[in-house]
Amino acid sequence: MKGLIPLVLGIFGTFTFSWVGLTVIPNLQIGHLDPQMDEEGTDVYPAPKSGMTERGRRVYAANGCIYCHSQQVRADYAASDIDRKWGERRSAPRDYIFDRPVLIGNMRMGPDLSNMGKAAPAEEENAPPAGASPAGAPSASPAGPPAGSANQTASSAAAPSPAAKPAASLAPAGASPPPSAATAPVATPADKTKTDEYSAAWHHRHLYSPRSISIDSNMPAYRFLYEKRRIAGDRSADALQLTGSEAPPAGWEIVPTYDANCLVAYLMSLDQSHPLKEVKGVAPAASPAPAAPGAPAAAAPSPAASPAKGGQ
Amino acid sequence: MDATEIPLKAPSVSTDVPTSNVEQIERALIDASTRVPVLMFYTSAIVWLLIGTLLAGFVSFKLHSPDWFSNVSFLTWGRVRPAHMNVMVYGWASMAGMGTAIWLMARLCRTVLRHPLLLVAGAGFWNFGVLLGVGGILMGDSTGYQWLEFPPYAAIVLFVAYSLIISWAVLMFRFRRGDQIYITQWYLLGAFLWFPWLYAAAQLMLFVVPVQGVMQAAVDWWFANNLLFLWFGAIGLGTAYYMIPKVIGRPVYSYHLATIGFWTYALFSSWTGMQRLVDGPFPAWMITASIAATILTIIPVATVGLNHHMTMQGYFPLMRYSPTLRFTVFGAISYTVFSALGVLISLRSVARYVNFTQASIAYSHLGLYAFFTMVIFGSMYYIVPRLVGREWRYASLIKLHFWASVYGIGLMILMLLAGGFLQGANMDNPSLAFSESTQTILPYLRGRSLSGVLLTVSHFVFAFHFGLMLFGLGRTSSVPTFLNPVETEGSEVHI
Repeated sequence: MKGLIPLVLGIFGTFTFSWVGLTVIPNLQIGHLDPQMDEEGTDVYPAPKSGMTERGRRVYAANGCIYCHSQQVRADYAASDIDRKWGERRSAPRDYIFDRPVLIGNMRMGPDLSNMGKAAPAEEENAPPAGASPAGAPSASPAGPPAGSANQTASSAAAPSPAAKPAASLAPAGASPPPSAATAPVATPADKTKTDEYSAAWHHRHLYSPRSISIDSNMPAYRFLYEKRRIAGDRSADALQLTGSEAPPAGWEIVPTYDANCLVAYLMSLDQSHPLKEVKGVAPAASPAPAAPGAPAAAAPSPAASPAKGGQ
Repeated sequence: MDATEIPLKAPSVSTDVPTSNVEQIERALIDASTRVPVLMFYTSAIVWLLIGTLLAGFVSFKLHSPDWFSNVSFLTWGRVRPAHMNVMVYGWASMAGMGTAIWLMARLCRTVLRHPLLLVAGAGFWNFGVLLGVGGILMGDSTGYQWLEFPPYAAIVLFVAYSLIISWAVLMFRFRRGDQIYITQWYLLGAFLWFPWLYAAAQLMLFVVPVQGVMQAAVDWWFANNLLFLWFGAIGLGTAYYMIPKVIGRPVYSYHLATIGFWTYALFSSWTGMQRLVDGPFPAWMITASIAATILTIIPVATVGLNHHMTMQGYFPLMRYSPTLRFTVFGAISYTVFSALGVLISLRSVARYVNFTQASIAYSHLGLYAFFTMVIFGSMYYIVPRLVGREWRYASLIKLHFWASVYGIGLMILMLLAGGFLQGANMDNPSLAFSESTQTILPYLRGRSLSGVLLTVSHFVFAFHFGLMLFGLGRTSSVPTFLNPVETEGSEVHI
């Protein structure tokens, strides 16, 4: 071939074709979505997240959680994500409009986290997401079943049974369907530390020592997000409840750093349970309680109104 | 095609060539002019390769032994993994690819390299950018976009470095001799132009004027896939188009096939990428378009494969002797396998199982290692002796390098593919706990770590051998290093 000009034009043309086709046109289609509102303009979804939650997103991105955890639920005809109770409906572009960076991921060495916040026990959702409160409050909520269902994450060895009372739900008895994993000899903390599954305290424990919660987990521990310090005066309210070899020596305690609190706040803000008009839900859900616009998404649908998920 | 360019008569660095042979002197001058920059690119690339290999071993072991170093923030798995990936992509593969591309361009433009300092400065800036980026990732500054984890301050340095390098490429074309543009030059010119557009477009749409929500993921995977095809793929294919005919001393079988292969490649492979997001929160047409494009890449793959095969027809036994040919042909065959696997795992019925599994890691390694890296190794075995004026010292080390690489990457891909399919099948069965799927793959991940040991051996052997060459400890000989003793009739071949 002679002539440089046709070659360069061709190289430029093929590139432009692909760039326009795969980024510019889709951006016109789904790049400028607004939150969904009902007629009164009160039930806004999704809402922007709080500053602490956004910082948690940075921690999530910086430490590469995305290389093992996805945040997208595929439709029921395409995969078994919904059967796995990772969500009630498929994810849609509108779920992510405030996400930057968007962390949908493409690997699942760990479970999907799209609805991790939805799984939090009841009082957590009303509590500030700081995780600063002694989360597994001694009298666990009478509201009963943590909204998340048994199988929400595999790392849950002791899955709460919706029928059981909260205290009982900590025992591995009412475990998830596959007995093989669920009955694994987990060093169950249930008797010593009252930690509701997917509560802030549970997340901290899981981040600090994943295998103390699920023996099968191959998640790395994120101990550098925690600080070991001498107890001055009273034990800190947010100190981790650790047992056995994990426990710090007497007079010492393990407390989350600010980054750890942000990360947990972020994880607990992940919730795609709000219905979207463009997505057909699997179960026609009761309308969720309105969330105050601008409120942290962690405080989104109140548990009372949220559809009983995974009705088993 | 430029008939005077291929085949070459003899390897040509030694200055005592017969003065009658003007072409040889000319080539020797061109080679000499590329000496400093190309060796700088190669040396940097090999240092990055060793760093990336160590990081890879760490990542691989930590995936099945997660309790290592959990107190150390910069050694957490989620930071070392992107550090490894970026070191390999921007440190090793890009630098080695640019080194080879520069040498090929100078040869094919038949002009001495002007302003080599520009390139040396470019390589220096590039190294600095990669160092800054990897440091940023380890310190917790990753952007969270896969393949684009380098924080913006490192991306800017890379872009400046690249501008220096490309301005050289433009100069090179400006001063080229002869009207003919060989097929390798098409691919290289394509790569040199596509890369900055790609990188700039992705950076603009993610950081300068960020797009909303899931479009970021679309831009990210569009970039990642095009980097694989239009940057690495184009350099790799261009190199193979040069090395195979050159070594066996025979022109490319069909120039028309090469032309068709190039344009269909540019057209179809640039539209792939969205199949990595199959059934995600995107309009279905985007994903379907990418799946269709992936299937259509069968056309360029078939034409390129057929062309190489027909060129090699009857010359396959030469792979017994020539290191360059052996690595390059292995890479060219891997390209076909890579593309075939790409078609297979893009189909929705298969992607249902392999999306979100380690099979996608196998796919990336097949492309970046089994294809691209092996072709680049081959080109280094050809080019380095012509730059340093010495021949490779030990045929045994080359053989060790080759077989450790082949068995290493072969084992890795088998393990990740088999493990990935099982992982995906278990994940798709909701009656099994999720942890079943990760437990299933653990033995395969241990097997992958074993393959990492082989690859580490291979890379350190190669780096040692390269170091010998760099310090002038190669053989002084007018005969290239053959892998096996050559029978008399093979000796006229230029290996």
